[in-house]
Amino acid sequence: MKRPLGTIVGARSGDKGGDANLGVWTRTEEAYEWLNGFLTTAKLKELLPEAGEVSRYELPNLKALNFVLHGLLGDGVASSTRFDPQAKALGEWLRSREVEIPEALL
Amino acid sequence: MIRIGNASGFYGDRLSAVREQLEGGELDVLTGDYLAELTMLILGRDRMKDSSLGYARTFLRQMEDCLALALDKGVKIVVNAGGLNPEGLARKLDAKVGYVTGDDLKARFPEALTANAYLGAWEIADCLDQGAQVVVTGRVTDASLVVGPAAAHFGWARDDWDELAGATVAGHVLECGTQATGGNYAFFTEIDATRPGFPIAEIDEDGSCLITKHDGTGGAVTVDTVTAQLLYEIGAPEYLGPDVTTHFDTIKLDEHPRGVRISGTRGSPPPDTLKVCLNTLGGFRNNTTFVLTGLDVDAKAELVKRQLHEAIGDEGLTWTLARTDHPDADTEERASALLHVTIRTTDPKRAKGFSRAAVELALASYPGFHVTAPPGDGTPFGVYRAAYVHRGEVSAKAVLL
Repeated sequence: MKRPLGTIVGARSGDKGGDANLGVWTRTEEAYEWLNGFLTTAKLKELLPEAGEVSRYELPNLKALNFVLHGLLGDGVASSTRFDPQAKALGEWLRSREVEIPEALL
Repeated sequence: MIRIGNASGFYGDRLSAVREQLEGGELDVLTGDYLAELTMLILGRDRMKDSSLGYARTFLRQMEDCLALALDKGVKIVVNAGGLNPEGLARKLDAKVGYVTGDDLKARFPEALTANAYLGAWEIADCLDQGAQVVVTGRVTDASLVVGPAAAHFGWARDDWDELAGATVAGHVLECGTQATGGNYAFFTEIDATRPGFPIAEIDEDGSCLITKHDGTGGAVTVDTVTAQLLYEIGAPEYLGPDVTTHFDTIKLDEHPRGVRISGTRGSPPPDTLKVCLNTLGGFRNNTTFVLTGLDVDAKAELVKRQLHEAIGDEGLTWTLARTDHPDADTEERASALLHVTIRTTDPKRAKGFSRAAVELALASYPGFHVTAPPGDGTPFGVYRAAYVHRGEVSAKAVLL
């Protein structure tokens, strides 16, 4: 079913210099298994078209994935002219994107 | 077990948090993080104006209010509020104070406004071993504020990697204050997030810990709130620090009646290099937001762009048009789009001229012209960059006053 990703996925994002980090996590093993297959780097870029180079890390122990969006913030918070220069709401933007979520997970 | 609380996640955090943590229950150590990348720049500009400044002034206010209370209760205070001037701050406190110095690498990076290596936990531990009641540091890693007191308390060795890694995780959870206890939390509708309490880590000798908060405070400590904070500002699962490399893919979280148990964390030796936070003055910036209401939003944006470019040129200008407008709207706000423009320039006169040019359009531009707030004179901005130096090039020191 098409639902906002944030229905079953939490997120927190922030800045490290000119890079943004975006961590996402799920609350059950089943949801993590789905998310890990679903949210590839390509899918993340599709959902967040403003992303450029992206690194992706898996943290199964936390049922979480961590993405680093390289260069999203230019020279960093103090100089960035980007809307949301510290990427604080990047995770909430991602959570609001509508995706196909298996009904069993809802 | 040692109980380590946090009362600050940034310079500007809840002023009353120190008192809340001291009065709310038992603690052994109270820590506070005051330094972000951006904060170093703010303090750098403070120091340029007055060389006796350069530290987090709100911490001094908190100590005027609460230092006697902390000493009375036997709670030690460990903070990085010293910023660019730990000694200056340390000398203003009436207690047995230790400070950590040696992070300033401006001599090595003369082009920078601020250049500070991220120091580790051992100088903090050293201050505490020598009997300090308050420890004030400059740039140390945020987690070191927690690792230092735990290492001193348990007498850990420098190669107790798992213990140090466990305490680093506790420190990472605590460093952003209420972000661990339900602040800025994705599932905030499920808890009472009105006024989250500040977090506490009860650390055991093996480096594992219980994340909790004082009874009766707001927010929540659950596997989800702790997971959220663990994911904040990290990169690869190998989390590099000055004292230990912490493997975030080994952390185990379990619900506990009083919060969340963290165990299983593995550590390995740290890299040979230390990270350096460099801020240089990048120039000046200014901005304004034009409100475009009703019909012809794109054409209105085009007109004002053309006018501003004609007045001052388009160099260094960034425009974004937020289409917050709705057709046939039933409120004026819902009928309006926001056109943001920012200027970045090396010339302060140009940053100021930007304001004048924008204001001069007031009676000569699109129908319905107004701005959300009149633009100011512009402000200097910094450019942050990280550098790495061999740890042998940095000599960190613990000094007891």
